[in-house]
Amino acid sequence: MFFHIVLERNMQLHPRYFGRNLRDNLVSKLMKDVEGTCSGRHGFVVAVTGIENVGKGIIRDGTGFVTFPVKYQCVVFRPFKGEILESVVTMVNKMGFFAEAGPVQVFVSNHLIPDDMEFQSGDMPNYTTSDGSVKIQKDSEVRLKIIGTRVDATEIFCIGTIKDDFLGVINDPAAV
Amino acid sequence: MIEPYNKLVKLAARAFYDDLTSKGDNQPKTGRSDNRGIAVVVLDALTRRQWVREEDLAKDLKLHTKQLRRTLRFFEEEKIITRDHRRETAKGAKIYSAAVAATADAATGKEGEEKVKLHTHSYCCLDYAQIYDVVRYRLHRMKHKLKDELENKNTVQEYICINCGKRYNALDALRLISFEDEDFHCERCNGKLEVESDKFAAQDGGDGGDGDENARRRRREKLKDMLQKMEVQLKPLIDQLGRVKDLPVPEFGTLQAWEARASAAGRAANGENSGDSKSHLGYNGAPMPYSGDTKVIVDFNGTEGKGEGVKSETDSTSLKVLPPWMITSGMNLTKEQRGEVKQEIKMDGTSTSTAAQYTDEKKSTIVHDDKNIQDEYIKAYYAALLKKQHEMEEAAKNPQDGNGADDPSSSTSNRQVGIKTKREEDDDGTEWEEAPVRGNGGYKVDLNVEAVAPAEDEDDEDDVDWEEG
Ligand SMILES: [Zn+2]
Repeated sequence: MFFHIVLERNMQLHPRYFGRNLRDNLVSKLMKDVEGTCSGRHGFVVAVTGIENVGKGIIRDGTGFVTFPVKYQCVVFRPFKGEILESVVTMVNKMGFFAEAGPVQVFVSNHLIPDDMEFQSGDMPNYTTSDGSVKIQKDSEVRLKIIGTRVDATEIFCIGTIKDDFLGVINDPAAV
Repeated sequence: MIEPYNKLVKLAARAFYDDLTSKGDNQPKTGRSDNRGIAVVVLDALTRRQWVREEDLAKDLKLHTKQLRRTLRFFEEEKIITRDHRRETAKGAKIYSAAVAATADAATGKEGEEKVKLHTHSYCCLDYAQIYDVVRYRLHRMKHKLKDELENKNTVQEYICINCGKRYNALDALRLISFEDEDFHCERCNGKLEVESDKFAAQDGGDGGDGDENARRRRREKLKDMLQKMEVQLKPLIDQLGRVKDLPVPEFGTLQAWEARASAAGRAANGENSGDSKSHLGYNGAPMPYSGDTKVIVDFNGTEGKGEGVKSETDSTSLKVLPPWMITSGMNLTKEQRGEVKQEIKMDGTSTSTAAQYTDEKKSTIVHDDKNIQDEYIKAYYAALLKKQHEMEEAAKNPQDGNGADDPSSSTSNRQVGIKTKREEDDDGTEWEEAPVRGNGGYKVDLNVEAVAPAEDEDDEDDVDWEEG
């Protein structure tokens, strides 16, 4: 699920960035630092959308670095158990398959793949129905439901299922 | 229409809310405070009502208002009932009472409560449409949950290293991928990982050290059992759902709409269009749109001992006998329309033979008629009619008619004779054949029959005379 929230971060800036463009430098450094990161608490930071306010800088003794407390608005993506996501398959093996829904990685183990789909090894390992009408392989687009998340301080990993109504392949890469 | 839905409610109540105890009672259960089953009683009571004031319901059920409220609040959360609360004066209460009186069922006493000044009154009503959905959803969820667990749908797959016995689960998957092959590998010893449940299933009943696995198997058995029991025990409910599926849903609308409708219906039923409906709305108020209409089926022909009289009556319906006061000189009428006395006489030729037939017929028909009240009624009607006709004919100074004049039952037999004569006509194949044609009403045809025509004309004229006199 996406959220638009306000976060705060202490930015350390090298004295060489001080000058007329201090604020711009601060913002671009912020974007470089936080976009694409993940915190277990808030999820993946997708994009910084604005600066709320930049506090007074504090000069670090000995180094000359200055720390600015920056409040910024950003879009975050946080997956939840039970959430339905659309994802792209990145890897298929006999244990199941991995898929990416934006920044989040999801693993679907083979017992959560419908029973009528069988693993086919080979150049392009895949799961296929007996009549061959549905195939899950690398780059397939799959709608899945998250049934578990592992949230570390800097990492979120999910496991999902496609064994439910309206889940499964939503396009066929072979047909495109 | 509402009955199948009520049955659904009753079944659902017994299936899901049977052992419901009102929440919040922390005190140990004594026999007295054990109020299981209240929910069923309340729901049953609601199936016999429409919108009902909660105090009234409590009184009817001999429950404490608080206790009832707690139950009702629960059902509201369960989306079984809709409730409405409003602050109202005595007048507002009166509107409701009037509406209640207009419904056939809930005719409980509520006088005396109308002196309430300004109180918040709560009303409740079953929400059939929603109940149908809620019950279906509940069944779906129950089945789904059991099946999911049975099929390990939402369980996290576990893996174990064959070498060192280290355990992993699917959430570790990212770390376990090896790029050498498509298997998962142990982080510690790089051994091959196996899916755990498969492994244990393989050494079924082996070293037996794993109580965990036994517990899981027991759990599976229990789940299967529950699923099976569910199918059996909830079958009546599911069947009822199927029965109700294509029926229109009883809808009472909001409290206001319902009140307006109920009192309007009540007023209409009492033939009253305006004014204070309260005093006139008795216990015989109008049935509500969904409480079912009274159907009256009058079975005219269904009776077994159907007499000849009835038969003749139905046979002759094609030609209606006009009441004398409708016959005027200008009308082009057949004899049958006037009553066919004259015709019969002509056919038989003499008055005596007609009379004989009259009496014979009369006897037979009377025997039959005794069986049937309807026949009696018809007989009486025809008797009156015939009497009139005889009077007319007496006025026309027709001597033959004196015989049957005072015979009350001769009308039915009269019809009989009419039929009989028609049969005779067929047999004879004489000029009388034209009688039915004439009966169907052409004036020209009438003229062709010479023997009859003058009599009819005379009759017409006499008729006028008699009416004028
Ligand atoms: Zn190992």
